[in-house]
Amino acid sequence: MKILAFGDSALLVNFEQKIDDAINQEVLDLAAALKAVPEVTYLIPAYCSLTVGFDASLNNFTEMCDLIENSAKSKSSSTKTNVSVIEIPVCYDAEFALDLEEVMEQTGLSSTEIIELHTTTIFKVYMLGFVAGFAYMGSLPEALKVARKKQPRKLVNEGAVGLAGIQTGIYPTDAPGGWQIIGQCPIKMFDPTRNQPSLLQPGDQVQFKAIDRKEFETLRLMAYPQTTWHD
Amino acid sequence: MTKLRFIKTGLQTTIQDLGRTGHQHLGIPVGGVMDKRSARLANDLVGNAAEYPLFEITLLGPSIRFEGACQIAITGAMLSPEINGQAIAQNQTINIDDGDLLNFGRPIAGCRAYLAIRGQWKVTKWLGSCSASTSKGEIATPDSWIKKDIRIEVESDSPIAPKTASETLQLDALQMPIKVMQGPEFHLFSNLFVGIFFSKSFTITPDSNRMGYRLQEPIEGYESLGEIISSGVIPGTIQITNAGQAIVLMADAQTTGGYPRLLNLLTPEIDRMAQLKPGDQVRFELVS
Repeated sequence: MKILAFGDSALLVNFEQKIDDAINQEVLDLAAALKAVPEVTYLIPAYCSLTVGFDASLNNFTEMCDLIENSAKSKSSSTKTNVSVIEIPVCYDAEFALDLEEVMEQTGLSSTEIIELHTTTIFKVYMLGFVAGFAYMGSLPEALKVARKKQPRKLVNEGAVGLAGIQTGIYPTDAPGGWQIIGQCPIKMFDPTRNQPSLLQPGDQVQFKAIDRKEFETLRLMAYPQTTWHD
Repeated sequence: MTKLRFIKTGLQTTIQDLGRTGHQHLGIPVGGVMDKRSARLANDLVGNAAEYPLFEITLLGPSIRFEGACQIAITGAMLSPEINGQAIAQNQTINIDDGDLLNFGRPIAGCRAYLAIRGQWKVTKWLGSCSASTSKGEIATPDSWIKKDIRIEVESDSPIAPKTASETLQLDALQMPIKVMQGPEFHLFSNLFVGIFFSKSFTITPDSNRMGYRLQEPIEGYESLGEIISSGVIPGTIQITNAGQAIVLMADAQTTGGYPRLLNLLTPEIDRMAQLKPGDQVRFELVS
């Protein structure tokens, strides 16, 4: 663990720089321990780093470093065994799976195998970022690892389910993006009218469930009343 | 109750306050006024608390009809404000009568002006802030993105004795280098890169906005450090793209990024940066 200055009102705590469940868990545990500290104004947990914001007028760096180090020492490592798995429905129909061919080409897998791997793996939300409610989930089985699109799309639809490297994610809003799109999720990942606007939080466990076009329409109408799916 | 009717919206007029801190772990940007100092001053001049909402006006201002009397103050960029066709002073409390028309003219200096109105704003808050949200803003903060013919209501408080600010936006100071400190990846960059960076004057590109300022001139001969594993970014972070171009992240910046973070602006310098506009030149100075 290494603490670096990050501007005059934040610190960056760097862990070993790799995408790894155990390292990410250290990040999330430290974030949980710092949540209750009054001097801390915000936290940005990422794969293997934690940004800790504080009020520059109240504290100095040495004090904040001590505080973080003490929290790191006293933090309890969470027991993740009983965390419930959030099930997220995805329609993998060809109409939505815009990059399925490219993923098949890159991985050498059939579409059935791709969907099978994507729906049987339990993913962890390592972090959120890019746009509000975008959860970076991992890790994909090695066999499903794919490169991002060479030419990113100017617009990826809200709800599109994508792959990039060993990560998977769902676009919570229309946005530009280079992830390989393999399906469409009918429920809202991010909704400002909800008490908790983001469906997913760092540390959550997620499993995808394949649904057919009919079920997709039903669920979509519940989430987005009075709208029909359009490309 | 005073009603403000927007006859013209201006280039980009939004309602902002000091932003929504503490939701970045969900990918929600902080937002809030770009130039905090000018915004605080405007609210102070009408006797509002610092965290009250106000209008952030960008280069070309709106046209607003007041229905009801109130007190206002305009600070920040000089955008030629006038009431009923008469030029008005900035940085002081101004009494507005029912039916008055506020217009803005030619932008003279700076980029963002702040218009405070004394009283309680009847505006939707989301996650504790009225700031126009870039995340589903049409649902989260529908009033805060100013559109034509929108009406904003402010419950006027009893008037205060008009004040004039002693301290105003130092427009000369906009020419001075922006003070920065070493960012998390500073040491990954070569001395040559750092040397060139601090000797250069950069042009702010036209696509610079509330999310970030893109600086036009790349650093010659930059051998890309590639990308880092996605990690937190904050307003004031200067990141370097693979093409050697610098991006200064601002209030509406996303919460994580993958480009190496060369520098961070000192917090008060973000206010100064916010007053630079596309086409302006900027230099940086490293402080320890």
